[in-house]
Amino acid sequence: MKTVLKMGASAALCLGVLAHPAFAEDNIVKIGVVAAESGSFVSAGHTLPAGVGLAVKQINDAGGINVGGKNYKLEMVKRDDRTDIATAIAATQELVRDVKVQAIFGSETHDFTLAMAKITQPAKIIHFAGNSTLAKILTPDSVKPGGEDHYLFQSEPQEFQRSGSTARGVLTLLEPLLGYKPKKSVMIVGNDATGQFLSSYYFKALKAEGQDVPDIIFYPPDTTDFSPFLTRAKSLNPDIIHFWYNGDSTLTALPQALELGAAKSYFLFGVDPGIWKEKQLSADVPVAMSCVPVCWGESSNPKARAYFDAYFAAGAPHGVTSSVSLLYHDYVHFLAEAWEKAGSFDPDKTVEALLTLHHQGVVSDDLTFNPTHQVTHATEVCAAAPGGAISCSMQQPPAEAPKS
Amino acid sequence: MRAVDIFIQQILNGLSIASVITLIAIGVTLIFGLTGIINFAHGEFLMIGGIVTWLAVSAGLGFPLAVVLAILAVGLMGYILERGLFRFTLERPTNGFIVSLGLIVVLQHVVVLFWNPNQKSIPRPLTTVWEVGGVRIASVRVMVIAITIAVVALSFRMITASRYGRALRASVEDRDTAALMGIPVRRYITGVFVLGSALAGLGGALLIALFPITPFTGGTMVMKGFAVALIGGLGNIYGAVAAGLILGIVEGFSAGYGFSQWTDAYSFALMILVLIVRPHGLFGGTSGPRMAS
Repeated sequence: MKTVLKMGASAALCLGVLAHPAFAEDNIVKIGVVAAESGSFVSAGHTLPAGVGLAVKQINDAGGINVGGKNYKLEMVKRDDRTDIATAIAATQELVRDVKVQAIFGSETHDFTLAMAKITQPAKIIHFAGNSTLAKILTPDSVKPGGEDHYLFQSEPQEFQRSGSTARGVLTLLEPLLGYKPKKSVMIVGNDATGQFLSSYYFKALKAEGQDVPDIIFYPPDTTDFSPFLTRAKSLNPDIIHFWYNGDSTLTALPQALELGAAKSYFLFGVDPGIWKEKQLSADVPVAMSCVPVCWGESSNPKARAYFDAYFAAGAPHGVTSSVSLLYHDYVHFLAEAWEKAGSFDPDKTVEALLTLHHQGVVSDDLTFNPTHQVTHATEVCAAAPGGAISCSMQQPPAEAPKS
Repeated sequence: MRAVDIFIQQILNGLSIASVITLIAIGVTLIFGLTGIINFAHGEFLMIGGIVTWLAVSAGLGFPLAVVLAILAVGLMGYILERGLFRFTLERPTNGFIVSLGLIVVLQHVVVLFWNPNQKSIPRPLTTVWEVGGVRIASVRVMVIAITIAVVALSFRMITASRYGRALRASVEDRDTAALMGIPVRRYITGVFVLGSALAGLGGALLIALFPITPFTGGTMVMKGFAVALIGGLGNIYGAVAAGLILGIVEGFSAGYGFSQWTDAYSFALMILVLIVRPHGLFGGTSGPRMAS
């Protein structure tokens, strides 16, 4: 009998010890991240956990968040989607059903996010994604209370805004470097859902700026040898070749374009000047770059330098599009502020708070969501002169989409 | 730029594409066609070759020495993997195929773990660009084409004219009889696997001389390598070269003049067509070695 009692006491002690961490975790709020930490979209994907992780650390170091009079620390739970939609869906299901996160950030791959929203929204999980493709589903009907995307938020501007500000910035910065007003543009675009979506807007934006755009040349997403595509572009004698949208592919294509002398100038979407400098890239013609949304390495935004110092100090790799992290970092702080304002983690109250707050972030001093859960802010465009000097400027988005 | 210049430029582009694909295809055709090992991780061998080159050049070594290191390192890796893994799957090629799929993930993640997932590149080993008429010819591409021609010629001679090549072909025809005649079949299999791996190492070194690579570069390249090997005929080096040329030119012209986004589709459609019309490839090949019973 004594033995049985001893065993019972030991078991109870063990259970007590095991139960202790669970008790401690009562004050932890879990935030999920689904991102491509491997696979073809890794250059943008790895910035998500890095940006969210930095924000989580900053919030926790400052004492956490106070919600309903109780203090909470945040914990990031990340999953690699391996640039594979099935993996992204499985990871989202796990984070929602098993890990029980309060919010999800990602994925950066546009069509993946649409699939993930089918899981997060019925489960009433606050979901942020820096994908302009979300405009397809974020409508007044879908985001209203009870609507199927009520808890979904787009943390990058609408595509007509981003494309509009980017096109204007590229043409404005390249004109003085070329010494004349560029008239003819050719676009070279990765042929996937994101590339097709983005290029359709950018094409209209270039046309709205008076550009003649005789061809959009699509390439298979895993292309490494761009010479046939570039030769085709060269045959059209363009003033500017615009590379969209995967930074890794763009940096693969550019040296080949320079060797072929394919155009008089180039635009690289989603390439930070920081990587341009770090890789000691150079060109004998002007090269414009755009960041998503504020540049690492050379920015006209005064907060950007401090942000990227902290970002890399936290261990983030120096990637082609490190600036993408800002489509997520600011919104962790924004969400934390919303929870504090709502005084609750209730998703409906959180949405209400998110829609009324004006958040001061790195990207903008006044980040707000419009009634269809989308933000509006400027995009930064830079240009490297043949001599190597880089100049940047923030480009405000157009008020409305081009007519045609 | 004149239409004729564009046309010539596209032919040169096609030759350049063909040379890298051919190097991979020769490795695939030797390993798959002569040993029966279906190594889908061959693309990752190529990627490792590129990473070794990148590490060597980053450490201050010259490009030629880096190429040699890449060949040796991937050849050694091939030896270890053949002895440690694939030799246990020779009787069941499907098992070898599954093992190779697992290897893809393992090798990619080992590289990501130690050297992060970002693009790696080296300075162009040759930077001169010749301009002939309106056609631009990059010296680094000429270098890759020249090395490929040399490697193809050596491999072809080794397989067709040397004593080892004859013994190897005999063991492909009938392993049991070849073994009875005193040919060390298993050792030959190891030798072919190491040779194919070393060629992948060379391919990786040449690839990073042309383009940046990532830990995930191997996937697309190996698919094209298998397509070329099958179109040309398994085990047929001449076939691999011819098929590589055909594929390179088809890719170059489809991107230049056709629906550019279908570039890869043309290659694989061609492979499917050839496999239906000529199951042993355009130039004839083995059906893979007959398995020892």
